[in-house]
Amino acid sequence: MSVSHIPTRDAASARLVANRVLATLLCAGLLAAWLLPFATMSPNRLASGQTVGLSEALSAWQVFAFLALSAILAVAALRRPLPRELAHGVVLLASLGLLLITLYSLGDYAQRTLVEESPSARVSQGSAFWVMVFCCALAAIDAFQRAASGWLLRLGYMLIAGGSVAMLFASGHFDDLSIMREYANIRDNFADQFITHLVLVGSALGPALLIGVPLGLLAHRRVRLQGTLFSVLNFFQTIPSIALFALLVAPLSALGNAFPLLGEWGVKGIGAAPAIIALVMYALLPVVRNTYAGLKGVPPATVEAARGMGMTTRQVLWRVEIPLALPVMLSGLRIVTVQAIGLTVVAALIGAGGLGAFIFQGLGQYAIDLVLLGAIPTIVLAVIADFTLQMLVVLSKPAGTRR
Amino acid sequence: MIELQGLTKRYGETRVVDDISLTVEQGEFCVLIGPSGCGKSTTLKMINRLIAHSEGKILVGGEDITTLPPERLRRRIGYAIQSIGLFPHWRVADNIATVPKLLKWPSSRIAERVDELLALFQLDDEGLHDKYPHQLSGGQAQRVGVARALAADPDVLLMDEPFGAVDPLTRDTLQAELARVHRQTGKTIVFVTHDMDEALRLASRVALLNAGQLVQYDRPAELLVAPANDFVRDFIGRADLGLKLLSRRRVEEYCRPAQRTRNNAIASAPITWQVDANDRPMALLGGRLGESETARTVVNPEWTATPDMSMKEALSRMVWFRVTALPVLDGEGRLLGEVTMAGVMGHRP
Repeated sequence: MSVSHIPTRDAASARLVANRVLATLLCAGLLAAWLLPFATMSPNRLASGQTVGLSEALSAWQVFAFLALSAILAVAALRRPLPRELAHGVVLLASLGLLLITLYSLGDYAQRTLVEESPSARVSQGSAFWVMVFCCALAAIDAFQRAASGWLLRLGYMLIAGGSVAMLFASGHFDDLSIMREYANIRDNFADQFITHLVLVGSALGPALLIGVPLGLLAHRRVRLQGTLFSVLNFFQTIPSIALFALLVAPLSALGNAFPLLGEWGVKGIGAAPAIIALVMYALLPVVRNTYAGLKGVPPATVEAARGMGMTTRQVLWRVEIPLALPVMLSGLRIVTVQAIGLTVVAALIGAGGLGAFIFQGLGQYAIDLVLLGAIPTIVLAVIADFTLQMLVVLSKPAGTRR
Repeated sequence: MIELQGLTKRYGETRVVDDISLTVEQGEFCVLIGPSGCGKSTTLKMINRLIAHSEGKILVGGEDITTLPPERLRRRIGYAIQSIGLFPHWRVADNIATVPKLLKWPSSRIAERVDELLALFQLDDEGLHDKYPHQLSGGQAQRVGVARALAADPDVLLMDEPFGAVDPLTRDTLQAELARVHRQTGKTIVFVTHDMDEALRLASRVALLNAGQLVQYDRPAELLVAPANDFVRDFIGRADLGLKLLSRRRVEEYCRPAQRTRNNAIASAPITWQVDANDRPMALLGGRLGESETARTVVNPEWTATPDMSMKEALSRMVWFRVTALPVLDGEGRLLGEVTMAGVMGHRP
């Protein structure tokens, strides 16, 4: 009796709740808001501070907005009364609203508090803040998946969400937060390292494509080369990144010493040269593999028809093979870009600079804000790159095969 | 128009095409047929140099094909394969325009030619011009494939099992259409298939290949009545050789004058047709198996014949409706003559 009872109850709750992911996220977010600290306040940069709960940190209207948006999300998770399609739209708007309220409240709390406290006091975000931000993002991603929405809608949503957050930052709303004060201290250096990071990623991707795409083409044309090529590239991929960076130091410094001209060009044991070489080596496998897979995916009959019509080998490549292989090739580029943005952090260890510099510096000083100043922009960069290239993959699908 | 002289293709020691010589005349519809692996497709692909031949010579329009760069040669020869050969990322119009674009025709001439071909294949009224291949039905995609092959108005058309992947009903339509296009354009066509019925229906000459060798090269009727050896007989289908032959014959060849009467009383011959004032047959007197010689059978439109019907179909109708004669009708339904069971038997193949 009791055994058969369980599925019945399950079925009943399934009838009531249509979106279990959303329900779980909402529970997690509310639980965190209730139990975990929303912010911490400390007397100075390095001292540990006291925790502040959500109810303490938020003003009356913020609490009201927070509860109202949570209630809307709860209703959207239910099977009734909202029709499914409408519910997805409601989730997208409400989770964005909740995200903005969370961000705004934190900045607002910092502003209100620090008027009363000493100038050296610091307000930082607490664990509840992170959980709430995370839950809002996941709820939106899940809603997009469920709605099977088109890329244009996603792009619009991302622009609105990113734009509103950027405007909050630009207006100086967060300037009283600990992390932003840390940022104010290193503003110029931050801009330099950010650009260094982008330059490192860019100068690794360029050669990776220039070498990788022809290699992929070669692997496709010369079947016998495939085995050797892929095992060499696979081998690179298995070397841990720190080890590879370290391994390159000795030969490159030797090279730079032996040929002073090369040294003048920047070929040295530490710095950008080993970083870029290592990044290229890691990027090669995905680029070659996806180029090869993309070309292999072109139906042989299509290629034969193209040849039979009188296209030259080059025309077959540019008019038929590459257009049809492009989506797969671009998804290789997507993997490689996201990977390179992450690996470049490690390159800071061998003096290449980039956002990783802040992370390692912060770790050395136990300054968590400095670590976050390196980590958060890295994550944002990776997300933006991933999203942009995902759009490109969709757009590059030949119109005839795009769905 | 196309001459194969001692054509051979070797892969290592194996000869997949072994010393084939044949000539396809201008305007001929030559079907290469044979069991799987007989070398028919290889032979076809050697004509446009998709596969290089090992020995022998191929002349197209009197010119040795090796004297031209392969791309130039291929742009002069139409090439059609199964519909998966369409470029999925190009619209129908762009697919058809492939070769004219390679030949750098002015765009106005290309547009004109595309419209002309869409009309020729009756694809013009369906708004297909801007569709992508995956939006087409199997039959439409196949017709686009043939239209694409004809785009630059080549004298020679090579077709490699183009109707292999479509359903029987569509294939029937496509075959009829191809026969019509062949009559209208007078192209020289080399066509590969493994379907004997398709070969007999379309070909003006059939080249039967086995194990890389040419077994017989003849008109379809000759192939049927004078098969060169047992292999030919087996491949055609020994069991229904007679029916295959009849499928090549048309009712008008067997049609003979009919005996008519205006009233239903007297039958002046074993088979007599009772006609109305407009010479339309109303009933058959006699001529029904298992009935008396004077039995009257009302003519049913399903067991009549037309002059261009195949004799195989006429015979099939006689068997199905258990009559020994069919009235042959003209377009207005008037009695032209009759075909009889005895006539089928008495006619020398």
